Amino acid sequence: MNQAHSAIDPKLLEILVCPLTKGPLRYDQKNAELISDRAGLAYPIRDGIPIMLTEEARELRDNEKKKA
Amino acid sequence: MEAEQNMNEDLVDFGFDQVPRDAKSGLVGEVFSDVAGRYDLMNDLMSFGVHRLWKAAFIDRLKPRAGMALLDVAGGTGDIVRAFCERISASQPAEKPKSDLGPTVRTASRAIVCDINFEMTVAGRDRAIDRPLNLKGAPTIEWVCGNAEALPVEDVTMDAVTIAFGLRNVTNRTLALAEAYRALKPGGHYLILEFSTVNEPLMARLYDRYSFSILPEIGALIARNRDAYRYLAESIRKFPRPNVLQTEMEAAGFGRVSYQLLSGGIAAIHSGWRI
Repeated sequence: MNQAHSAIDPKLLEILVCPLTKGPLRYDQKNAELISDRAGLAYPIRDGIPIMLTEEARELRDNEKKKA
Repeated sequence: MEAEQNMNEDLVDFGFDQVPRDAKSGLVGEVFSDVAGRYDLMNDLMSFGVHRLWKAAFIDRLKPRAGMALLDVAGGTGDIVRAFCERISASQPAEKPKSDLGPTVRTASRAIVCDINFEMTVAGRDRAIDRPLNLKGAPTIEWVCGNAEALPVEDVTMDAVTIAFGLRNVTNRTLALAEAYRALKPGGHYLILEFSTVNEPLMARLYDRYSFSILPEIGALIARNRDAYRYLAESIRKFPRPNVLQTEMEAAGFGRVSYQLLSGGIAAIHSGWRI
């Protein structure tokens, strides 16, 4: 039960995309975020549930953006 | 096209009120956050308990089978996915495993709930944890918070997309239909369950009286939220007639579009396929 609350379902990660760009997501386990490099947004994971809403997402700082 | 959207680009329906387009999802969110724990009760009151039968008819149309990937949009309470899992489990052959190597390899079934409201999603997920289904052969339900107008799933991944009592609350229906289409595989099935239009005059009058005079009072007493129930009744009347929704589904690209009225039109099941 604890697992369900703390970690995101890995199977779910396989099909999740950024709702804005439909591009891929990076899972930042430490900060519990799903990062869309293309959109420059980090979507929060709260209570094990990814919140894939742009209005809930955090804008990435320049130093967080993945260098291509 | 909705007439009111033609008259004023920036206003959309919120029940019988007009609100700025940007504000609707927030306002709907407040309604649902307020009633999240009692949403089933709300449906019971609005449908005289019959929504359980409608959902059963809806699942019949869905025809769950092993290996099917289902995305249930706006399915926060988890009713649809639970019924889906039960049907899949019941359809499993009661065979003994041929060896200890585990079950035959085949595509796993999936049941994904995507709801815009975090509180509803947590409530649904926690209920699933507290009362596990423990059904043989049924998938583990996956939960994600997302908007029907911008689904967070990969293109062409789903065998079925469902939305039960959710499309009415979506601000931009055209986008929601397009997103469902995008998520479906060719041959995939899109099913909508929604309150619809009662045509028979006497029944329509009684239903109106119930929804606008009696129901908000019940809502005020039981859920301490008169406005949420008033919104519910109004949003049902604002939802397009079934033939109009059928046209919208066809415009979104769906084929073999049809609908079936339930309980004299209090609700309807709409069906379309990504051909």
